[in-house]
Amino acid sequence: MSRPLDLHKYFPYQRPSNAALDEVYAENGEVKPYWNRLLQTLEGINPVLLEQKKAKALRILRDDGATYNIYSELTDFASTWSLDLIPNVLSSEEWASIEAGLLERAELFNLFLKDIYGPRNLVKHGILPPESLFAHSGFLRPCDGIQLQGDHQLILHGVDMVRDAQRGEMCVISDRTQNPSGIGYALENRTVMSRVLPSLYRESHVHRLASFFHRFRTKLTSLSPNPEQARIVMLTPGALNESYFEHAYIANYLGFHLVRNGDLVVRNGYLWMKSFGGLSRVDVIVRRVDDSYCDPVELRGDSLLGVPGLLEPVRAGRVVIANPLGSGILENPIYLKYLPAISKALIGRELRLPSVATYWCHDPKDMSYIRSNFSKLVIKPTFRGGGDISIYAGCLSTEEQTGLLARIEANKIGYVAQPILDTSHLPTYGEKEITSRPAILRSFTTASDSSYTVMPGGLTRVGVEESQFFISNQVGSQSKDTWIIESEPLALQTQVQTSTQIRQDADRISLPSRVAENLFWMGRYAERAEASLRLLRTVFIMFNGEEPLSLQCKKILLSAVTNVTNTFPGFVDADESIINDPIEHLLSVVTDGKRRGSVRSDLNAMLYCADESREQVSSDTLRVINDIRDALTELDHTFDDNTITAPEEALDPLVTALMALSGLSHESMVRGVGWRFMEIGRRLERAHRTNSVINHILSDSVQEQDEGIMITAVLLCLENLISYRRRYSANLSVPTCLDMVMLDTSNPRSLLFQLESLLNHLNALPKAQTNTNELLPAEQIALEAQVLIKMSSLSDLSQEQSSQRPNLKEKLMRLNELINSLSDLITDRYFDHREDARQLVKKSWADNE
Amino acid sequence: MRYKIQHITKYSYQQRVSHCYNLAYMSPRNTPRQRCLSSTITLNPTSSSSSRRTDYFGNESFHFEIQRAHKQLTINIVSAVETNPQFTVQDLDFGISCKDAKDQIESSSNKEVLLAREFLLDSPMIKNTEFLKDYAAPSFSDNTPLLSSVRNLTSRIFSDFKYCPEATTIATPLTEVFETKKGVCQDFAHLLIACLRVMGFPAKYVSGYIETIPPPGVERLVGADATHAWISVFSPAEGWVEFDPTNDTIATEQHIITAWGRDYFDVTPLKGVVFGGGEDPHLSVSVDVKRIE
Repeated sequence: MSRPLDLHKYFPYQRPSNAALDEVYAENGEVKPYWNRLLQTLEGINPVLLEQKKAKALRILRDDGATYNIYSELTDFASTWSLDLIPNVLSSEEWASIEAGLLERAELFNLFLKDIYGPRNLVKHGILPPESLFAHSGFLRPCDGIQLQGDHQLILHGVDMVRDAQRGEMCVISDRTQNPSGIGYALENRTVMSRVLPSLYRESHVHRLASFFHRFRTKLTSLSPNPEQARIVMLTPGALNESYFEHAYIANYLGFHLVRNGDLVVRNGYLWMKSFGGLSRVDVIVRRVDDSYCDPVELRGDSLLGVPGLLEPVRAGRVVIANPLGSGILENPIYLKYLPAISKALIGRELRLPSVATYWCHDPKDMSYIRSNFSKLVIKPTFRGGGDISIYAGCLSTEEQTGLLARIEANKIGYVAQPILDTSHLPTYGEKEITSRPAILRSFTTASDSSYTVMPGGLTRVGVEESQFFISNQVGSQSKDTWIIESEPLALQTQVQTSTQIRQDADRISLPSRVAENLFWMGRYAERAEASLRLLRTVFIMFNGEEPLSLQCKKILLSAVTNVTNTFPGFVDADESIINDPIEHLLSVVTDGKRRGSVRSDLNAMLYCADESREQVSSDTLRVINDIRDALTELDHTFDDNTITAPEEALDPLVTALMALSGLSHESMVRGVGWRFMEIGRRLERAHRTNSVINHILSDSVQEQDEGIMITAVLLCLENLISYRRRYSANLSVPTCLDMVMLDTSNPRSLLFQLESLLNHLNALPKAQTNTNELLPAEQIALEAQVLIKMSSLSDLSQEQSSQRPNLKEKLMRLNELINSLSDLITDRYFDHREDARQLVKKSWADNE
Repeated sequence: MRYKIQHITKYSYQQRVSHCYNLAYMSPRNTPRQRCLSSTITLNPTSSSSSRRTDYFGNESFHFEIQRAHKQLTINIVSAVETNPQFTVQDLDFGISCKDAKDQIESSSNKEVLLAREFLLDSPMIKNTEFLKDYAAPSFSDNTPLLSSVRNLTSRIFSDFKYCPEATTIATPLTEVFETKKGVCQDFAHLLIACLRVMGFPAKYVSGYIETIPPPGVERLVGADATHAWISVFSPAEGWVEFDPTNDTIATEQHIITAWGRDYFDVTPLKGVVFGGGEDPHLSVSVDVKRIE
């Protein structure tokens, strides 16, 4: 059927004339029926509404923290995952044959992996040239002989494929077996689509993804040495990894602990997680660290991401790693050349899903083909981890081509060449129009029971330009949800397993101590940034106030800024010209991320800790964290503009966002151990900062007419001015001020309030059972600090002596010492302190294998 | 011949080591000409977990972790082996020619030959060997038997290079050894392997011990022996044959094998990760090879 004329089309999709194949159109040139329905709906949406939907999708992605991180420098964090509103759509019939091809391919790769780390018959019988295995860095000799229980070695298999426009059929470009990424992004895409286009999604009868994840989880559980109580962890290289979002997302969705290498330790032949309550056994690792980095004893010795000695419990079957160590070898593109022969040898037939033609430079015949067709080929290194990337020889200058050829000639074993495929296109919603883009689909297959299961869908990515051959997230490609559409409404049973059910299985009892530490520091940094902002805002207000400040007042306030924020040399002993015009310097204390102690550097540290403990943080909190990021960016724009009139107002949004964060942690975080540590961090920091503000503003006495200003500054900075005025009317005096900011336990910013909260939190932390009533060292110190504050005489503290308040100063200094040692005691007791690991034999040059 | 070997390795650290994970290749392996009769490993401090296994190359590896704080680690290995000679020296001249050997290595579909090709490739410590081609080539010609050519090259390395323990460390690259013409058994073994590979013949690194016989009238010193290294070359006709460039000889009954691999990297006697320990631990090794009558 041809598409009916629709007068309400806002975005007619025009098939590009030069594209040989477009997924929307059938061979006879007509629009495929299911595409017709979809496009009609999309084209009928009012442009304003469609833009709103696009914005909504982006907002949900941001709120979920969906990023793909391309790091250039630490301050420039992550870019939001990019999702196109138009899904890739495939009919069930089309999908059935792809699915069968993928199942067959996974079965084959499984047998292939078994052979490589087992009998190696493929080499012994001459099916694979020995060099294709023995020269590849992905072949990990220490992993020889390690076989998982049961039918499967390969647990998760990713396959990148395109529809070859010439032949009209799906063609595999590459396999992902190391630690295939994308299942989390695929799930997130689906979640967003079902929220942004709910009725279209509902009416399209799209196959659900949940059962795939359920099967994946079931398989992992069954691999565990004790399936009844399997403790499964997801090992991530950390928040700087480009797909860290996905690691946290999947871990949360499937109820696994997200761990870093430092959270794990081998002891007595078993693998353990260092959790807050001690060591707990780990049975299964879902690995997102490349295999050669996993054990610095037997694999790459220079790895900082591994767990020393890991291979031994793996060999003993006491811990299972998925995908197994060594599985990266299957990504070797040389094998695409030999796949028909491998397939015949292992399963007795060729694969029905074809792979892209692959020429190996080591093969003399292939090499002569490569030489004569050089500019039509993509040159790929056989080993992906070597820093070398795929290059399309056609885009190189003659000189560069010669250089590349020489590199190949010197290492023929290390390169393959593949033709550029003419890829079919998909409609894509871009800048207010629907355009045509080349597309690549990554599909996923998981081991399940005795066979494999394919995810009904996958991760589709489209090129940035109409004629683009490389599609990768690194160059900012968009992604699409992938819909497998049933002609009949789906039976309900495919939806049985919902995500909430899976989540309830989660074992949330123990918390890696690293996560507790990150939450502690998240609390500290958030409070630190907020306190600095309040102080700076106060200084701005005082400087811009009605009454001109005396030079002494200015000096005290500004050097308080430097002392409290620890941004020396700052205003201490600064020139009078700077004291009289401090705005620029004050702003740098806010915005200069390279300056330690600045608000921005504290916030960067806070955001980093938040990233590192993401799975503990609620989605509302992630939203607030995004607001903080936005407020920071906003601040840059404001201050770039040299015409700032009221900097104190510009700081307000950031203060508000930080207050929202502390409010949320109070209102929506479960009162578990993680929350306690965040609160301890916050209270410690507030005690420290309040102490410091009082000390640096009030311990020098000033002339009588200036005293009111100093008191106002302290109260303003601690947000107590209004309550103070209500209580003491306009009568500003040092003793009443100290009463309020030090001793008043109804004031949530007073010193005593912080100590009381700290004592409560410390008392509530789980403890080892003992027979005595002895207090822990941290509790003793906190108690001592509490008593020190309580035992204050306001008149003593306010006493002046040679233009100082020595009693106040002394007490606050002592209190500061106690707070610092309290912090040290907590850190020592509860957080993990790793010693440096060293290689016994130093052979740096031997490790770049 | 039967031998009893005692191999003691002692690490002394500047600072306390809280725990460590190690991998040792110190027990003799079985080979066509050698049988390991027994091998006992004693650790001080004792390990919290350990295991022995046969690795990818067929070597006996010993894995252990120590969870007790220590400043000194001692590994004491006592082994008994029975060795046989390879075959007599005159056999070398009647074997397969270099040309035939090379042809077979390139094209044979024989399993042994296919697997031996692993030892033609670059390995962690032997890479970019092209610069040795000119040096190696004169020992090989199409019609000379492969093994006598290797024997010839072994002699040339023995006479061109000076044994000099101070000259190199395990980190000294081959290019430097070749330039200074100085080194120890491990350097000479790497050099010979590199020459063989660049000429197209698979070669592997063999680590072990050699029995030293004191001059007549001199008492044998206990513990004065050392670990040793030599090579094994693959001939499609004769299989793997061992040569010792440090002593200018084909390996004999007195060559006792612990392990073999692509190079030293695969068979490092003791490696691992220690937590703590400070800089530059002090290592002392004592080896005693005693003939059992």
